[in-house]
Amino acid sequence: MAFIELKNICKQYKGNPKNSVTDFSLDIDEGEFIAFVGPSGCGKSTTLRMIAGFEDITSGELYIDGRKVNEVKPADRSIAMVFQNYALYPHMSVEKNISYGLKNMKVPADQIKEKTDWAIRILGLEEYRKRKPKNLSGGQRQRVALGRAIVKDSKVFLMDEPLSNLDAKLRVSMRNEISQLHKKLKNTTIYVTHDQVEAMTMADRIVLMKDGIVQQVGKPMELYEHPDNIFVAGFIGSPQMNFFHCKVQDGQLVFPDGAKYQLTNEQNHKLAGRSEVVMGIRGEDIKFSDLYIQQHPENIMDALITNIEVMGNENNLYFEIGGQQTVARVDKYEVCQEGDTRQFVFNPDKMHFFDSKTERTIR
Amino acid sequence: MLNKQQKRKQIVLTALMIAVSLLFLFPVIWLIANSFKSDAQITADMNSLSAFLPPALSENFFKNYTDVLFGTKFARYVGNTLLYAFIVIVLGIIVNGLAGYALAKIKFPGREKWMMIIMLLMIVPMETIITIHFLFIAKVGLLNTVVGYVLPGIVNPFNIYLFRQTFISLPDDVWEAAQLDHCSPMRYFFTMVLPMAKSVVATVAVFTFLGVWNDYLWPSLVFTSGDLLTAQIGLNAITANDNTTTGMTLAVITMVTIPVILIYSFFSKQIVEGVMTTGGKEG
Repeated sequence: MAFIELKNICKQYKGNPKNSVTDFSLDIDEGEFIAFVGPSGCGKSTTLRMIAGFEDITSGELYIDGRKVNEVKPADRSIAMVFQNYALYPHMSVEKNISYGLKNMKVPADQIKEKTDWAIRILGLEEYRKRKPKNLSGGQRQRVALGRAIVKDSKVFLMDEPLSNLDAKLRVSMRNEISQLHKKLKNTTIYVTHDQVEAMTMADRIVLMKDGIVQQVGKPMELYEHPDNIFVAGFIGSPQMNFFHCKVQDGQLVFPDGAKYQLTNEQNHKLAGRSEVVMGIRGEDIKFSDLYIQQHPENIMDALITNIEVMGNENNLYFEIGGQQTVARVDKYEVCQEGDTRQFVFNPDKMHFFDSKTERTIR
Repeated sequence: MLNKQQKRKQIVLTALMIAVSLLFLFPVIWLIANSFKSDAQITADMNSLSAFLPPALSENFFKNYTDVLFGTKFARYVGNTLLYAFIVIVLGIIVNGLAGYALAKIKFPGREKWMMIIMLLMIVPMETIITIHFLFIAKVGLLNTVVGYVLPGIVNPFNIYLFRQTFISLPDDVWEAAQLDHCSPMRYFFTMVLPMAKSVVATVAVFTFLGVWNDYLWPSLVFTSGDLLTAQIGLNAITANDNTTTGMTLAVITMVTIPVILIYSFFSKQIVEGVMTTGGKEG
């Protein structure tokens, strides 16, 4: 039995004819790190807040550790939450913020001290323990919020975009700290973010949502390598996957500008009976190296480089295929300049095909 | 650095402000200076500049004050007023604060209409409803009691409005975090909401204190017993007494007036802050 079970959860706000969350079902194992990811307004925070008990569940059932908690108060669900804006108590010191919940739970004073000291120590807040939140940096505040969550021995940690208020550098280090903390404490964690990089780097499994509907649930690389639909394929990965609306004719893929690509036998088999598809390919699967070009001489195409983004560890090359802007990720040693024409091939094993109407992956 | 013209302008402005301040302070200076004098000296100094100067220090310097404090019930009246003010402040913060919190954060049917009614009540002058208060207090037999005096002063629409406007800007996630920390709604109100809104709490406390301290009409209606009178009513009772000298009268007036001036000067920053933070945050 799963540790957290969401069964057909729906959320509809009064006065809104549309569901904010529709038929959300998910089993989460104990100790798992799950990321809810999706664009703004996709229902990820609403789902998290329903799990926390801050939003009523319109229909469906929610179980935590085998107990149905639809009607249980937030405090009695054995959860701890880290909020986007930290939600620290501004008039209390770091120490008091962390120990406040334990005091309310009537934990003996010596245990409160022991647990608070432990949380302060593992979060590296020793020198700030007497400071008020207004005298802390964003990262320190978020660490206090984490401290408040970890001292209570809660079964579930809920994190609602906890890093979105931090600058890029701090976000990377806090991402690592949260991952380390999860490995140490092994609490079941549900982490909401709109940043796919956070989801990819931290989560055991990702739940990708759009318009209140779960698009795909899976391990980060499953979503990356085998997206269920165009939305998932486009959302996961940076730069975004390139998509081309193509026709299928005589075993060839015909791009809008007439350029042709010779399909492999396997691809032909997959696209049998279809006249139109959406082809998707990630930037790193557009290959400029001689090795690939020699392997696929039948499908060599030309790219007129219009822009180069130098990322340091790699370069993004922009050019047009079939009248459509395309981006390729190449090694930093791949030297070229704007205005150069370069030959490339698609890595046939990494091409994705989607139904042009339903936008679902053709498998 | 100021240039010469700016410096000159500043000097002129400062001089003007001092002159205007002195003009307004003249009665207060006269009051304080003469409160240390005997009646004979007050009359003698009346037409000279020494009317605005205190007498030289002598063993009789504080005589008017000691006579008032030890020869009349003034000290008791001040004690009464401080007690009433304390009760009204504490209960006022709790009652108006809870009402303000409900109007700001709790969703209930007709919330906006209630707010409108409370705002309308702010324009009703106390004098127009004082008869109703009096009749009610008399009917329930609370005339000449502390409860009878305090009861109508607790609920104050303006204070509810002040609290509501402040509480509306408090972040909801702090309440959610507190819920997960096993904090009950009442505990949250007293240990989180009020400390987070301490500037408006201070503002309400100061306004309430000044209201009770300066109140004349309501205590004069409710109290008939000499032991329960407030300082303002006591002032009237003391000055109406034939044995009270002019110097003593001035000493009593000084003691009634000075706290108000001191409180305004000490808390002016907080009062402005409290009122400012409630402005322009209509939710």
